[in-house]
Amino acid sequence: MSEPIVLGIETSCDETAIGIVRGRTLLANVIASSVEEHARFGGVVPEIASRAHLEAILPSIEKAVSDAGISLKDVDAVAVTAGPGLVGALLVGVASASGLALGLGKPLYGVNHLAAHISVDYLTHDLPSDPTIALLVSGGHSSLLQVDDITSSITKLGATMDDAAGEAFDKIARVMGLGFPGGPAIDKSALSGSPTAIDFPRGLTTSNDWATRPYDFSFSGLKTAVARYLESTPGYKKSDVAASFQESIVDVLLQKSLAACKATGIGSLVIAGGVAANSRLRFLAEERCEKAGVRLRIPSPALCTDNGAMVAALGSLMIAAGRKPSPQAFDADSGLPVERVAL
Amino acid sequence: MTISLAIDTATSRTIVGIVQDGKVIFEEFHEGATEHGFAITELVSKALKVFPQPDQVVVGMGPGPFTGLRVGITFAQTFGLAREIPVVGVCSLDAIEVDQSKYTVAIDARRKEIYWASYKDGLRVSGPAVSKPAEVENFIIDQFPNLQKLVALSTLQNITEPIYLRRPDAVPTAERS
Repeated sequence: MSEPIVLGIETSCDETAIGIVRGRTLLANVIASSVEEHARFGGVVPEIASRAHLEAILPSIEKAVSDAGISLKDVDAVAVTAGPGLVGALLVGVASASGLALGLGKPLYGVNHLAAHISVDYLTHDLPSDPTIALLVSGGHSSLLQVDDITSSITKLGATMDDAAGEAFDKIARVMGLGFPGGPAIDKSALSGSPTAIDFPRGLTTSNDWATRPYDFSFSGLKTAVARYLESTPGYKKSDVAASFQESIVDVLLQKSLAACKATGIGSLVIAGGVAANSRLRFLAEERCEKAGVRLRIPSPALCTDNGAMVAALGSLMIAAGRKPSPQAFDADSGLPVERVAL
Repeated sequence: MTISLAIDTATSRTIVGIVQDGKVIFEEFHEGATEHGFAITELVSKALKVFPQPDQVVVGMGPGPFTGLRVGITFAQTFGLAREIPVVGVCSLDAIEVDQSKYTVAIDARRKEIYWASYKDGLRVSGPAVSKPAEVENFIIDQFPNLQKLVALSTLQNITEPIYLRRPDAVPTAERS
């Protein structure tokens, strides 16, 4: 029997994304983003995102099916992000997935957005040996996770106590007038700057922090420090600020990820989420993991930001592991904890 | 002979039914302004047990509170896509039945406003619009779309966009003080 075809739907933030996989093979990955509509607001506006999802979902499904060279009837299962995310945005995805699955008479898997980000790596690299440590960094999330089984057992080691890493990028890019989204803008500006020009603080890295909350993050102090520096330094060099700010975030993320590998004895690290597309993070991660003897895997940049392939990938893994589909009717859960891989 | 799967989520209710040649052969609703996402699949599954192969989907396009409204619309659209059957959108206010020759009906728009429309001799003469209740005369509220009427409208209307009537709340960065 050939491997099952799974169609994945992702609408937790501002990307309407449909992915189709056959087993571990990516057949289609269609992303319609409303990011440009949000740019003038300096961040994602939930109602604008929800409206854009409704407009984009049908044409995106049709395009994905056509890209994959299949017919909708060939789909064996539907997977959808059930949470966490913006509730109005999630609901469009869940309702459309429910209509599709019921219409086709196929099973539906409501899956966790964070687990999906990690599982997309299974499409680009060899089957990973669970367990692994996973660093998940995006505009909405910054978590350090221990993954014993991607389909059933994820433990949260730590998370951000204030802003998500991507959010910090957005905010600093805004005060520096670099535009939205801030991640790619700062990454680009930093290329011509010096990461050691300004010694910005590393959040939650005092010896007390290492003793009490080794795997938590905090970026609000860094944000304040950068804002103060900009105020007190007329004529500052943008690229140096960008590079030094970026270095502070990347340094802390990697210090804590590798500390988690060491403490748990797990020699594998997956970095996923939109911030994993950051070039400095990718470069330093490779350098430090090699030194520490940790096997590093980062999905290709296109699969790091929100996409439907990751949802389809997790659905496919659930089927391969023999996990049951979700109950017929379920609701989106904006606060779905990462420990719940699927509903 | 047409058998329609009828869906409306423009009000606090998720309303689902099967309408065969103008007759409602199945109808059920779930009350809960934030429960459309859960209710829609349950109710449509039940409806399909009564009749598994509808020829078309008729869906209320609002106006109504956005989050619930979108649940019904997107569900109808993907279900129609999967079954390769047409999906016809109609105005939810038009489907509210009132036994008078001249009347105004309203749906709670939250934030102390209503969505409303006025009718005379079976035709809409004003609206749909969103207003403060004090600005609208003698409106009837707390009535719900009638599935028979909803499906009857599908021969007259084919609304493809949700009827929002309000812009999203957001202030561009440049305009913030």
